[in-house]
Amino acid sequence: MQESGVYITLAGWAIFHLLVFPGGLFALGIGLFLKGADRKLEARLQRRVGPPLYQPFLDLIKLSGKEAMIPASAQRLLFRIAPLLGFTGMAVCAALLPVPGVYAGLPDMGDMLVYFYLLPLPAVALILAGSSSSSPFGALGFSREMTVMFAYEIPLLLVILAVALHVGGGRGAEFSLGRIVEHQLEHGQLGFNWELIPAFLAYLFFLPGTMGVPPFDIPEAETEIIEGPLLEYSGAALAFFQMAGAIKTVVVLGFGVALFFPGTLPGGPLVNILWFLGKCLALMFLTMTLVKAATGRFRVDQAFAFYLRYPTALAAVSLILVLARL
Amino acid sequence: MPRFLKILARNLLKGPSTEAFPFKEAFTPPRYRGKVVMNPNLCVGCGICTHVCPGGAIMMKESEDQNGYYFMVWHNTCAFCGSCRHYCPVKAISLSQDWHNAHYQSEKYRMVEHHFVPYLHCSSCGAHIRRLPPALAARIYSHSSVDPATIIRLCPDCRQLATAKREGEVHESSPAPQQP
Amino acid sequence: MGFLSKIAVRSPWLYRINAGSCNGCDVELATTAFIPRFDVERLGCKYCGSPRHADIVFITGPLTLRVKDQALRVWNEIPEPKITIAVGVCPVSGGVFRGGHSIEGPVDRYIPVDINVPGCPPRPQAIMEGVILARELWLRRLEKLEAGGGERRAALS
Repeated sequence: MQESGVYITLAGWAIFHLLVFPGGLFALGIGLFLKGADRKLEARLQRRVGPPLYQPFLDLIKLSGKEAMIPASAQRLLFRIAPLLGFTGMAVCAALLPVPGVYAGLPDMGDMLVYFYLLPLPAVALILAGSSSSSPFGALGFSREMTVMFAYEIPLLLVILAVALHVGGGRGAEFSLGRIVEHQLEHGQLGFNWELIPAFLAYLFFLPGTMGVPPFDIPEAETEIIEGPLLEYSGAALAFFQMAGAIKTVVVLGFGVALFFPGTLPGGPLVNILWFLGKCLALMFLTMTLVKAATGRFRVDQAFAFYLRYPTALAAVSLILVLARL
Repeated sequence: MPRFLKILARNLLKGPSTEAFPFKEAFTPPRYRGKVVMNPNLCVGCGICTHVCPGGAIMMKESEDQNGYYFMVWHNTCAFCGSCRHYCPVKAISLSQDWHNAHYQSEKYRMVEHHFVPYLHCSSCGAHIRRLPPALAARIYSHSSVDPATIIRLCPDCRQLATAKREGEVHESSPAPQQP
Repeated sequence: MGFLSKIAVRSPWLYRINAGSCNGCDVELATTAFIPRFDVERLGCKYCGSPRHADIVFITGPLTLRVKDQALRVWNEIPEPKITIAVGVCPVSGGVFRGGHSIEGPVDRYIPVDINVPGCPPRPQAIMEGVILARELWLRRLEKLEAGGGERRAALS
């Protein structure tokens, strides 16, 4: 009987983590706030006033009240499932995300390889959406999304390997995100380790690609292929894509924070949540807002070549340095 | 440091350069060409404005009872080019600075500058005549001894008669020219 | 639930249809959107590439014969509730092209236009006034929709 009680408590905590604290409401709230801050900062960089910080919330409420249309020639089932797929994938990712000093993640479940499989889910959702919408722009968008995805996943894998081998330190690789954070809290943050600085830079390059911000917004280029896979979505389905994007912002930024700068401040959980938020904001400003405000758009072949050249090389250098030390 | 970073940093420091418009009054240049305004006291009804208007926005039409004519500018087809102002011989048409053109569809056909310009009645025979503004009359008859105030109240026919009569009086009163 | 409607109208997404315009009005629309001096994003507006995402649609141009079918098709793709704004004199009345052999306009012969912003082209401030009028109309429609309940399409038209 006692065992079943333990399981019920565990399940309760899992649901709490999925729906309220790092996943679900918390991630959604922070993600929408980050999106709003992104728009505001971008406006300021272009000498505009910009929308209010809470604009993404207003957008979501508006979208939920709009008419949802499904094109007559679309694959109806796939077309409906695609937005949910990206959203749920990201919600699970957010539930496993350690918030340093507040929440340690699930040490036996929060595995970097799980992230490696779950992080592309919004992109996969876009691919499904593009292919099921029966629109030529959607088809163009999904072929571009696939190309770019293959390019930016390679540096991510190398970064993950470098970090895992470094933390494992000769005993094999350590893939658990919770233990990686613990290790850094004891032995110093990896972002200050000269062997892993190239990996950190590679991760910085990975961020705009995976978030689809200029110059890597090739699959959703709204001036070129009118938002590609998202073209046919309206109303609540589009709101799900927006929410998935918001949570993904938190997940990829939080993943970077957990890998390289999980330092904590003395003080309560509230201080550490704010500290985490500040780090996410700084990372976002550096890799998304600044880049978005300053650049145009790559062609798909340029983006592909870029990812296979610089971030992959940086991550590989890091991996070689780590391997040489073992 | 790349130049674009310098520009971005400067933008961030300088702050927004946005007008306060929807919340405050907007700046309007003094020579802005807004809605057309017509002064019915100056119009002579020559119709050059309807002729030069590229959008066909100006209509002049005699009223049903033939007591005057309507002058109408529909701002929903007016290109705000200012040709009517340029060609108006008596400067009756001017363009205001009013650019508040946005309106609901229900008000579409009310976006007009509409005037009724009444005809005058000839003080001698009672026929309808288009008005001749005093300023213009003074300019036309500046070389003559005629009183512009009386002649603008006559129709062209009566004006001709009056002129003939006056010339005749002049001839009678002066001595006949000496024949060589 | 009037509260949610009031929130919703603070996020109008804009879309523009060029129905044979000379591009003058389109330039003014781009000016309104992208130049820091006017910054329509303050009102929560965003230009979107897809007609499916739009709430407020701008129509420019006198609706030429060539573009009529495509323009009407794109307009029908926009989900309800939508507000249509005719920008410039051409969609409102045909403007200087009125009576031309290839002009099918004015646009309100085919589409229920809600707001007109005449001008050749209108200045950006006038377009922003049009957007503000559109928000008021949109709010009234949403409230009517809530009062009407199920009859969604009927309440909107």
